[in-house]
Parts: sequence; structure tokens; C-alpha cells
Amino acid sequence: MIPKLCYFLKLLVFIILNNLILKLKLNIDGLLVYFPYDYIYPEQYSYMLELKRTLDAKGHGVLEMPSGTGKTISLLSLIVAYQKAYPLEVTKLVYCSRTVPEIEKVVEELRKLMDYYTKQTEAKNDFLALALSSRKNLCIHPEVSALRFGKEVDGKCHSLTASYIRAQHHSNPSQPVCQFYEEFDAVGRQVPIPPGIYNLDDLKDFGRRKGWCPYFLARYAILHANIVVYSYHYLLDPKIADLVSKELAKKSVVVFDEAHNIDNVCIDSMSVNITRRTLDRCQTNVETLQNTISRIKETDAAKLREEYSRLVEGLKEANVARETDMYLSNPVLPDEILQEAVPGSIRTAEHFVGFMKRFLEYLKARLRIHHVVQESAPQFLKDIYEKVCIDRKPLRFCAERLRSLLRTLEIADIADFSAITLISHFATLVSTYSKGFTIIIEPFEDRTPTIANPVLHFSCMDPSIAIKPVFGRFQSVIITSGTLSPLDIYPRILDFRPVTVASFTMTLARTCLCPLIVGRGNDQVAMTSKFETREDFAVIRNYGNLLLEMSAIVPDGIVAFFTSYIYMENIVASWYEQGILENIQRNKLIFIETQDAAETSMALEKYQEACENGRGAILLSVARGKVSEGIDFVHHYGRAVIMFGVPYVYTQSRILKARLEYLRDQFQIRENDFLTFDAMRHAAQCVGRAIRGKTDYGLMIFADKRYARADKRGKLPRWIQEHLTDGSLNLTIDETVQLGKHFLRQMAQPFRQEDQLGLSLLTLEQLQSEDMLQKIAQIAQQA
Amino acid sequence: PKKNVSWFPQKYKAAQTVFNIDKKCQKISPDGKAKIQLQLLLHTGESTTFHFANGSTALKDRDATKELLQQLLPKFKKKANKELEEKNRMLQEDPVLFQLYKDLVVSQVISAEEFWANRLSLNTVEHSLSNNNKQEVGISAAFLADIRPQTDGCNGLRYNLTSDIIESIFRTYPTVKQKYAENIPHNMTEKEFWTRFFQSHYFHRDRISTGQQDIFSECAKQDEKGLKSMVTQGVKNPMVDLLSLEDKSLDEGYGTATVPTTSNSSNKSLRENSNSAIIKRFNHHSAMVLAAGLRKAEAPSDQASETSSTDGNSRDSDFFQPPLKKVKLQESIEYDDLQGDSGRQTIALNLKKSDRYSHGPIPLQSQHYTTSQDIINSISIIQHEMRNYKPRLTQVMSSNAASSAITALSPGGLLMQGGGQQTINQLVPTDVQSELKHLYTAAGELLRHFWSCFPVNTPFLEEKVVKMKSNLERFQVTKLRPFQEKIQQQYLSTNLTGHLEEMLQAAYSKFQVWQTRRMMRKT
Repeated sequence: MIPKLCYFLKLLVFIILNNLILKLKLNIDGLLVYFPYDYIYPEQYSYMLELKRTLDAKGHGVLEMPSGTGKTISLLSLIVAYQKAYPLEVTKLVYCSRTVPEIEKVVEELRKLMDYYTKQTEAKNDFLALALSSRKNLCIHPEVSALRFGKEVDGKCHSLTASYIRAQHHSNPSQPVCQFYEEFDAVGRQVPIPPGIYNLDDLKDFGRRKGWCPYFLARYAILHANIVVYSYHYLLDPKIADLVSKELAKKSVVVFDEAHNIDNVCIDSMSVNITRRTLDRCQTNVETLQNTISRIKETDAAKLREEYSRLVEGLKEANVARETDMYLSNPVLPDEILQEAVPGSIRTAEHFVGFMKRFLEYLKARLRIHHVVQESAPQFLKDIYEKVCIDRKPLRFCAERLRSLLRTLEIADIADFSAITLISHFATLVSTYSKGFTIIIEPFEDRTPTIANPVLHFSCMDPSIAIKPVFGRFQSVIITSGTLSPLDIYPRILDFRPVTVASFTMTLARTCLCPLIVGRGNDQVAMTSKFETREDFAVIRNYGNLLLEMSAIVPDGIVAFFTSYIYMENIVASWYEQGILENIQRNKLIFIETQDAAETSMALEKYQEACENGRGAILLSVARGKVSEGIDFVHHYGRAVIMFGVPYVYTQSRILKARLEYLRDQFQIRENDFLTFDAMRHAAQCVGRAIRGKTDYGLMIFADKRYARADKRGKLPRWIQEHLTDGSLNLTIDETVQLGKHFLRQMAQPFRQEDQLGLSLLTLEQLQSEDMLQKIAQIAQQA
Repeated sequence: PKKNVSWFPQKYKAAQTVFNIDKKCQKISPDGKAKIQLQLLLHTGESTTFHFANGSTALKDRDATKELLQQLLPKFKKKANKELEEKNRMLQEDPVLFQLYKDLVVSQVISAEEFWANRLSLNTVEHSLSNNNKQEVGISAAFLADIRPQTDGCNGLRYNLTSDIIESIFRTYPTVKQKYAENIPHNMTEKEFWTRFFQSHYFHRDRISTGQQDIFSECAKQDEKGLKSMVTQGVKNPMVDLLSLEDKSLDEGYGTATVPTTSNSSNKSLRENSNSAIIKRFNHHSAMVLAAGLRKAEAPSDQASETSSTDGNSRDSDFFQPPLKKVKLQESIEYDDLQGDSGRQTIALNLKKSDRYSHGPIPLQSQHYTTSQDIINSISIIQHEMRNYKPRLTQVMSSNAASSAITALSPGGLLMQGGGQQTINQLVPTDVQSELKHLYTAAGELLRHFWSCFPVNTPFLEEKVVKMKSNLERFQVTKLRPFQEKIQQQYLSTNLTGHLEEMLQAAYSKFQVWQTRRMMRKT
């Protein structure tokens, strides 16, 4: 009887504790936040505090917190709680991430949070959250979804759903249409999608069940969803944002996660490159247009007349609302689009085609050069006016006018007209923006001066242009990532005034990251990827020895990053000749990133397989490459990361030079500062790939003596810098091996939850203690 | 014994079959010696020396023999060792068997071979089962590097190949094996084959295929094809699929990234081409090594699996994708330290005899783990019931009936009789008990051997059945009798061995019947 009693007593205690500890309800500055875990990291608490302040102030924020400290769930928990508490203040969360897996991960975390909400409050979930992605990831049409490339899917989809195709289907039922879209169009908009969390696959399932097109359903549903998760482009690329995100509510909170490259995304979305091939294809496009026009003139002249009168009246926007017509929207930002009628000179279809022809000829002439030309947009406009009498105003309407024409002519395959669309976008952009852009015409590539390959780069140099409407429109924009150091540079280059700027460190119960700077080989020859010495035999050999030594002491996976693809190719070749690779193979399998994404994916999977089954492997990869940006190497997939050299951009590029100049003149950022900042954020990205949590551990080896300098070191994120001791600044290979061995041996000891509790992991009780709150206040460092 | 070279080929075959299990190593006489000999050392400790006596060609023949044996040796060695190991393992793992071995073999009732004869075959089922779980020895990724070329002093290179390396090459590159099978021995000698192999660009990965007459250029093409099919198949794990990483890539012509434009292979320098070839080959090599390590030993035998395995992975498209994707997604958002203990991963027990595990002593409570909610519920239910409990005294048994039922159910009671066998536990001392057990197992083993001979339809079985009968008799005399005497001395009831004797008697009478029948048939 007594043991039984004891047992029940124990159970009772357990039950009581369960209700107390299990899962947290936090009080963040007066806001009740549900947090779907049993414990919390101190930095998460601190992060939520800062976030709450930002939302309270209805301002923008820059928050740096290392990956693996549960940034996403902190963001979601707080913002969802905020939405629930103040439904009128924040109506929507727009969560932007970079890659498809990231997007899906965010939705899964959200699902976890929402499950917790329903369990705790026992109220039915009334939240609608969904992911939006391109047609390729959402299409359920059996034929269309079988296509492999996104563009093919888009094109095929358009050929089944374009408005005039559907109109034709009415008169001629044999014209194939997409039944999923038809079904959605018929009923999908009246019946709101039931509340819940919809990941991409869930949308597809739902679409299949109802027979509705998931893509258009999602496009429609984001308008009234509480949370939208999609990629940057839907907000930052004006061509797409105008179609997708135009009607999102002002009272939204926008989060850019993994935002360390956001400036490049902005720039890319507004830049255009024109090659001779583009012009040739454009030529064909123009001819096709001409033929189509003359054909239509004979058969259906009314159509053209109708378009003309519409343009006269300035009703160009009347048709835009047709969501399925996939013409890229105007490339310029909404507030730059002229709200007047298309000028008379390009109003008729023939005139416009003639106009495009002239423009095309002019571009062709510009590409026939033998030396590099760099000019500003006004210079270009002046030149074009002098040479072929093309005015600025009709150029500005080019994109609009072409869109109208393509729609009128009922062009089925839009992908075929990508060249002329590109040219028209260039025309509109160059005539709209007089500042922040540069035009560079290069007759050949630098590496191959004998082969003529002229390219016209119309390059955006100011990332703030593309993101400005986002900051202007939404009440709170949060920029966050694991690597945003130095924090003050983002507000400067993106030209906004944040209300909070903070960097959070990772609280650790054991130092699970070990950054080491290797400056020289055992022969004392300096190790560096500096341009002058990078081909040096001794440097290459020392790099090889470093990798060889590490392959012998590091268990499972090692990832090594090179500064550029060409550099890696050269080094791999000379390692092969010197037999270094063979020796490495004795310890581990070698996989190498190639320029082909499919091949690299395969290598990557094999690499993981080799780590998984205990063989161990090395992945040679490239900073700024796809692997360095999108793939995590958790736990045994990456026990050491080696960064060979400092990943500077290719500084000889004229585009870069122009951008640096612009940064210097406009934002007072010195060239070297920016270059170093850029190199260090990529280096940090690379080495950060290996540490994805507090239970994870890994060596971070910076193999270049330049890392030891204060200006480089100081630009690393705080959570890495903290662990760089003076003793690990200019090591030889031998010393690195010794330190590495020691570190790995320590880390291999069992690490339990109890070891973390109270230090880097808190229960609610610990969280509420006074001195812990004080400690937490130190985690966030205001910039 | 000296063997004449003239009948060497047959003799060689014989040697192979005879010694295939026991050979330990071979020795040859040094080159300068007059007598040209080959000595084989056997596991049993014996050695056999072959003397090659036909003068001029003796040396050559000897070397040829040596080489052939060299190739065969490791295989047999492995086999022999494996068998020994296996026997050892069985004895160690199974104390009963070990006792039996001691009783029967060590005391020379039957010979070791007889003992193992159907033991091993009996265990093959289990044996192969456990063998499947055993890991294959993988291939060193650097096996090609181990073939260190040495200069032989006159503008030539010598490559030393061992059978291990050859096996590695074959396992990693099935196409080479195929070539080998096609060309050896009718197209070229083995030596020539390997010479060509080392000369080929195939071996030297940085050389670009020049498309000349090279039997390995086809291999390279096949590899290329394998690599391509691997690539086009795509990856299983959506988290590493770089192709679908980006959601909406920029359209062609947009962006600042310097597009690789038209600079295809045409204007790439030769060096660049060879560099990327090296990279490709490294990826392929590693994938093949990995695949070879994972491939099951029996896989390459049939054609179907060969084709699927040449590309290094065999999978059925994306049939399993959704669940895998879900799992990977869940994995990647998991924070195991933020979670309570519930999320701890456990390692599955690999039990050989699961019933032994599950029938072990288990505390009663832990059998049904109930959730806290259940317990609270049940407590409240019980409380509720107790509150409403009203004894229905009219329907209770009378106290007399109840106490008689209890007596009947107590030990020694009316319903508890028939437990007399238990007493033997107390009657017989433990050492006698264990001896009896050993006798039973030994007798059982011998009888099993005996009975397995029936129906006697081969001369071998005839021989065996006679031998087994004598074994049984010997057992009765040397083991059973002393035991019987022993228990008689201790004044224990002699019918302890009665059943054993009955079994033996049954065997004898069966033998008698069989023998008389055989006699009748013969006469």
C-alpha cells in the first residue's frame, strides 16, 4: 500500500509541475505572449522585448541575432500575440524570407505556435496564415506541374488561363483551359478559405480537394490573411510587387528575415543587362509584332481602334486587374508611374512598333564599340535625342505601352517576348530615374579581350530606391538576420531611420563555437588570398596542408569555402597535381560545388549521406554561392568550416566601382569600408552555416592573416567576435590543429539540458528572477 | 611430397579444392636456390612442400602457381577464419552448446567434424540473417592513390596492384569490371589490361579524353552518363535541392550579377576545361565510392540492380517525397533543448530474442503508463464511486461457503493438488540436477544425430547411423551408467534416468529393426 501511495504522490507532484512549467506564457512588457516551448533562451526574451518596442513605436527595426537561437519563433510569437492583443493596430504580418525551404520552415514554426494557442486557449483558431510561392511550387494541373522549370510552368499556365484564352473558350469549347482556375474563378472568391495554417503542400491539398487552383487561391487569400509568408521579390521587385502585393494593408508588419543581402536583392530587381543576343531576339519580337499587327488589321481592325481610343482616354489601368495576364508590371516604382495618357507618338500600334525599332537600332549602334563607355542616365537620354530624336516622355511609357499592345494582340506565349519586354523596361527605367543608376557598355569580357561580346549594363547603384516604398507604406519593417554587423551600415545604405537597432549575442553554457584565425603555415609563410600572392605555390600548399590536417582530426563533415569559383578550380587542380587531395581522401570523401546547380545538389546530398553513415566528407564550396547562402550544416554535417581567404567581391568590375563611387558620394561610406563590410558579411555567413543552435558545435577557421586586423575582425558579428581571443589571432597550422583537437574533445562530452539551465536556457521561474532580468538586459547591444 | 610438374594443372585444381579451407600461408624458396620449391602451410599445422622439378620451366611454373594461389589465398583465408570465428562465437554465445561440445567432443564421444556437421547448416538461416546486418567493409576513397607508381629505372613505371585494390576498382567502377570480363582472357592478358588502364585518361582524371582508341573511353562515357542520370534524378531531400531553393529567380537580363553569357566551353581555355573535369571526376568518384560502400554484396550479381547501381543511387523518383519533406522540415525547426524531455530521441533496441526481454521481471505499475489526465480522471471516478458505495448485503455469500472456498484454493487445498512435481526440486540436490540437465542435452544431441539419419537411403547415412548407434552405446556406458551409480549411492529414486533410458532404448530398437530389414534385403 505504501509504495502505491508514494507512486501516486509522485504523480501528483508531476502533474502539478507539468501545469506550471510546461510551455510558457510570457509577460513581455505587458503583453501576454504564448511561447510554444517549455524553456526559453534569454536572448529570445530580449529579442522579443526589442521587437515589442519597435512595434509600439510603429517604426522600423534592425535586429541581429545568431541563427539557431530561435529567431523565427520569437518573431512569430511576439507578433502574433501583438496581433491578437491589438487587432486594430497590426492587421497583418508579411514575413519575407529568401528561399523556399526557409518559407516552409517559417510556416511550420507558425503551425506549432498556433497549435499551442488552440491547446491553451481552447478557442477555435481564427487565424489565416499562408505561404505564397511561384506557380512552379503551387501548380496542381497535371500537365503544367510536370514541367521542370519555373518559366515553363509560368508560360504554360498563362497559355491556359489568360483572359482572352478564356474568352475564346467561351465561343470555342475545344480551346483548352485550366479547369482548376475555372473552378476557382467560378466559386473560389465567394467562399473564403477557412482559417488555418497553409503551407505550400497544404494549399495544394486544399486545392485538390476543392478543385481550385492553389496559386490563384493563395494570391487572392493573402489579401485577407493574417499572416503571409513569401519571398522578397513579391515585395521588392516592382514588376512583381505591383501585381501581387499592391493591396496589402498599410497596417502590416513586414519582416525581412535573413536580410543580410537585402541590398543586393533591391539592386538586382532594378538592373538590366542587354547583350547582342537580347537585341537579336528583340528584333525577332518586333518583326512578329509587326506581322501580327498587319494581320489583325485585316481581320479585326476594331480591336486596335478600341485600344487606341482607350489609350487616348488614359484608361490604361482598366485591364490591369486581370490577375492571370502575366505581363510583368511596370518596372518602376508605383509613385513614379505617370498618371497621364500615353503620348500620341506611340499611341497607334504601328507607330509604337516603329518607335521600338528605332530604339532598337540605336541600342545596336551603341553596342558596336571598341572601348568601354560609362555614362549617366541623363547623358544617355541626351545622346539618344541627338542621334535618333527619341524623346524622354514616350520612353517612359514604353513598358505600359508594350503591355497594352501584347494584351491587345492576344499573344499566347509571353516568354517569347521576354527580350522586347526587357528592352521596354530598360527604356522606362532609364527615362524615369536620373539618379542612382549608371550605364556601362563593355565591348568584351575582361578575361577574354579578344572575343567581342558587348554588354550594356544598366545598373542600379542605390538599394534604397527599390525598398523606399516598402518603408514608406508599412508601419513597421523589421530587418533581421544572423549577420548584420556592422549594424549602422544597413540604415545608411537602405536610407531609413530605424527606431531600434540591436545586436544580440548567443548566451552559451559552453563555448560551442571556436573561431580561429590561421595566418601562416608551419613554414611561417603568410597565408592569404590577397591578389598578389594567391597564385603563390607556398600559399596554395599551405592551404592544402591545413585542409589535410583538419581532415584528420575533425569528425564527420567539414565545409570549406573559397573566395570565388575560379579560385577554387585553380586550387583544386594544383592540389590534385601535388597529391594533396589523395591524402585528404584517405581521411574523407571529397565533394565539390560546381557551377551547375543540379550537380551541386547531388554532391550535397551525397556529402550529407557520407556524414550520416560515418564515413565523413569534405565539401568544397564557394562564398556567395548558393550553398553558402541557402544550406545549413547542422551538427555532424559541419563540425568545421574553413574559410580560405577573405571573400572580397571582384573589385575590378566596373559596376562595382560605380557603385562604390556612388556610395561614397551619396552616403559617405568609404570604398574600403564597404568592401570589407561586404566581404565580412559573406565570411560570417559562411562560417555561421555550421552553428545552428546551442547543442551544435563547430570550428570556424578563418584562413587568412588579414582576418586578424582590427578593421576586419571588428566587422564580424558580435556573437563570433566575442569568442575570438587574442591567442587565436595569428596561428600556424600546427597550433590550429592543437586548439582544434582540444576543442573537439571537449565538445564531444555529453551535453545535457541541465548543463544549460539557468545559463543559456531558462524556465519561466528563472526568467522572472530579478538578476536574470538584469543579465538579459545586457544581451542586447544597442548600436 | 614431391610433385611432378607434368600433371601440375590437375594437381593444382586438387590443391585448390583440398586446401581451400585450411591453408594458412605459402612460402617459396629464394630465387637463387637450386631446389625450386613451394611450401604451403596449413592451419592444422601441417605443411606441404611442392618441388618443381622440370628444370628450365620450373621457376616459371612455380611463379605461376604462386600467383594463382596468391589470388585465391585471401579469399580462402577469409572463409576459413570466418568459419573458425563463427564456431567460436557460437560456443561463446551459447553455454548449452558449449557444455554439449565439452560433453561430446572433448570427451571424444563424437569428433569435432561430426559435431559441427549439421550444427552449422542448422544455423545458416539465423546465420545469414545476422550476416545481413553485418557491415560490409567499405572502400578507401584514396585507393587509387595507393597505387604508387615507381620508376623502374629505365623510363618505365611500375604499378603495384594488390587484389584488394583490384576489388576496390571493380566495386567502385563496375564498368571497368565489365571491360575486364569482356577482354580477359581472350583479347588481352591481364597485365596488358591493367597497363592500358593506367595509361588511359580514365585513370588520369585531369587529362581530357582525346577520343583515341582506348577501351576505357567507353567507361568514361558511361560514367558521364551515370553522373548525368544521377543529376537528372534530382535529390531526395528537398532541403538540399539548390534548384528549387529560390522562389522567383530574376528573369533573364535582369540583375547585376555578371551573367556567364555566351562564354560556354567554346572560349574556355583548355586548362579551365581540365580543371572542371577534375572537379567532376572527384564528385563522381566520391559518389561511387560511397555507393559501393552502401551496395549490398549480392546486388551487383544480377543485371537489373547493376544498371541501377552504376549511377550510384537507386530510388523510385519522388514517390516518397512528401513524408520525407515533412520529416526534414520538422527536423529543421526542432529545438531539442527548448523542448522538455518528451522530445528526446531514443535508440531502437536490437533484440535477438525479444520474448526473453519482454518476459523479464516487470514491476506491475509500469505496465500501463497512463497520462496524468487519465489518473486524475480515474481518481475522481473512484472517489465518486466510493461516495456512492452501498454494500448490497443481501447478495453476499455466507461466511461458511466463503471460508471453504478459501481453503480449497490455498496450497494443499482441494483445488490446488497435482503440484507434486515441484517436489523434485527440493528432493534432488542442485549439482545432480544440473548434471542431469547436461545428460539430457547431450543425449538429445546424439539422438538428434541418430534420428536425422532416417530414412537411411545413402551409403553415407548407413555408415553414419552405425556410428551413431555406437556413439549412443558409448554414451550410455561412459556417461549414463556412472550417473546412475552416483544417484544410487545417494539413495535417490532411480527413475530419474528412466526417461533417458527409454529414449535410448527406442533408438536401439529402431536400429535393430532397420538392421534386420537390411539383412533381409541383402540375403
